[in-house]
Amino acid sequence: MRLRALIATLLLTSATGAAASAQTYSSPTTAPRTTDPAALAGLARRRELHERFDRGLAAEERGDWASAQVELRRAVALDPPEPQGSTARYDLALAEANLGHDDLAADLLRAALHLDPSFAAAAANLVAIELRRGELAAARAAADQFVAIAPQAAMAHYARGLVALHAGDLPTARADFGALLAADPAYAVAHYDLALVELRAGRDDVAQTELEHALVLAPGYARARFALGTLLLRDGHRADARVAFDRCARDAADPVLRALAVDLRDKL
Amino acid sequence: MKGLRRWLVALALAVAACAGAAMGAELVLGDPSTLVPSASPALLGPITETGRTGWNCPPERAATARTASAAGLPGN
Repeated sequence: MRLRALIATLLLTSATGAAASAQTYSSPTTAPRTTDPAALAGLARRRELHERFDRGLAAEERGDWASAQVELRRAVALDPPEPQGSTARYDLALAEANLGHDDLAADLLRAALHLDPSFAAAAANLVAIELRRGELAAARAAADQFVAIAPQAAMAHYARGLVALHAGDLPTARADFGALLAADPAYAVAHYDLALVELRAGRDDVAQTELEHALVLAPGYARARFALGTLLLRDGHRADARVAFDRCARDAADPVLRALAVDLRDKL
Repeated sequence: MKGLRRWLVALALAVAACAGAAMGAELVLGDPSTLVPSASPALLGPITETGRTGWNCPPERAATARTASAAGLPGN
């Protein structure tokens, strides 16, 4: 009888303690701050924008460009303030470009740059897309803007150098590849492009020096090896040219370049 | 008649393809402007909703990097 009374007392005591420890409310739910319909609509828009960005970027990461397009078009339509406005247009441009809509992508990137004229990544992608479309004047305008935004940037000089080389503006191409090499002399590709500039300008000796620089930095650089071979052959160094074409044929991953190198090697 | 025409077209295409590489080689030797420049930079990736608010925005950092490797420029 005494034992039962003791157990009952213990149970009551522990139940009281448990109830007491459950009565803490350390993080109460935040009370609504407004009941104003306009403010609530603004909160809903911000919430939707957040969701559209999240879903759009998740779709882009898995390569689902069509879903990304739907989400990010809605994000742009919500007309968010900066920097989200230009960022939404930049992200939508990526989706459009990957769906083959380069014209839409270019328009979106121009709109992003209009909203934020210091948006370097938007300028970089605009140059790449305009080059891909073969729109050299538009690519040049974008590349000039890119260099103005980021005058020390390797990508800005590389992009404008390429555009200028394609357009035949040799002084600008020479200046941009030169600036890139001044900051990063170990970049073999810039030596190669600078060699093409000099070849087109008729300065074969300077071109050869640049190609040799490129090949010291990257001995397996097949395109530079091929260019050196053509230069040697034009200057009458047939044996050296044959060696260059043979090495190019072995190093080239591009089948067209390999076929050209084999053809020239076998003719020598 | 139709079969003969198709055969002639196929023959012409085959001859043109064989001659293509050789003609390309001649063209490259005669005109240095036919040497192809390097590839254009790849498109920079997506940016999150708040990506450009702070310092850690990889596409912006690549676009403004001073070296080719930090910028992710094309290799050989």
